[in-house]
Amino acid sequence: MADEETKSWFSERIDEYADPLYGYSFQLTRNRTDAEDLVADAVSKAWSGVESLKDRRKFRSWIFRILHNCYVSNYRKKSVRPVEVSQNVAFDEITDDLTNFLTEQSDEFLAWWGTPEREFANKVLGEDILEAIEGLPDEFKGAVVLVTVEGLSYNEAAEVLEISSGTVHSRMKRGRMLLQKALWIHATEAGLITETPPKEMHNEQ
Amino acid sequence: MSNKDDKTEAEEIDCIEAINGLYQYLDGEMDDAETKQRFEHHLAHCKTCYTRTEMEKLLTQRARDAGNKKASQALRERLQRVLD
Repeated sequence: MADEETKSWFSERIDEYADPLYGYSFQLTRNRTDAEDLVADAVSKAWSGVESLKDRRKFRSWIFRILHNCYVSNYRKKSVRPVEVSQNVAFDEITDDLTNFLTEQSDEFLAWWGTPEREFANKVLGEDILEAIEGLPDEFKGAVVLVTVEGLSYNEAAEVLEISSGTVHSRMKRGRMLLQKALWIHATEAGLITETPPKEMHNEQ
Repeated sequence: MSNKDDKTEAEEIDCIEAINGLYQYLDGEMDDAETKQRFEHHLAHCKTCYTRTEMEKLLTQRARDAGNKKASQALRERLQRVLD
């Protein structure tokens, strides 16, 4: 049974992190009711195991990890979308190569990638970006949401997802590029990209 | 000054290397000062990579703003009841 000091400390932390926990939960579930239930489940589990948190400075990654694990165990199954599972264990080792990744992409995307339009960023809405993140395969979505949206460091995200910091790094890189492609497709379909960019991928200087 | 410039020129990175380090830089994870200096030197001389970096900054900020959800008062009270 936790003492009063622990209870008071935990109460303050929950109050402090209620918004980001709900934000991450909503990004995972995309449903207000599920998001609130998920946060409540995670906080309940965290409180039950508060004595296991040896270093209070790691509260943020600890509570996010509990929430993430609750989602994986109980909520992801409810998703109507198929959960994409990494096709190979060695994914990070064999595909962490920008050149290889880019050569798999369409010519149009490559051309745009080399000459990003300034107006593009001004026209894409935050909700468009969140929707594109939602469409990412799960292994990338977790890292991208934790770092890009919630502002966690790579080390913190690694602790949440229980993977190495290097894996977070590579997932971030590829996840953000997949995100760019999704946004590019969205922008093209919405008519936000109107001019055909030159074919050169990297017209430096 | 010229010596420093010569050193930087000698260690210049290309666009592929810059894009490889782009997210690490934007996410505040480029800890090595020399690597960061080379990256920023490239941005100062490459309009394309500078534009992409600025665009990524905008998109990241927009995603962060959009994802900044507020927990309802009902949820906050529910969470505090967990401790009872």
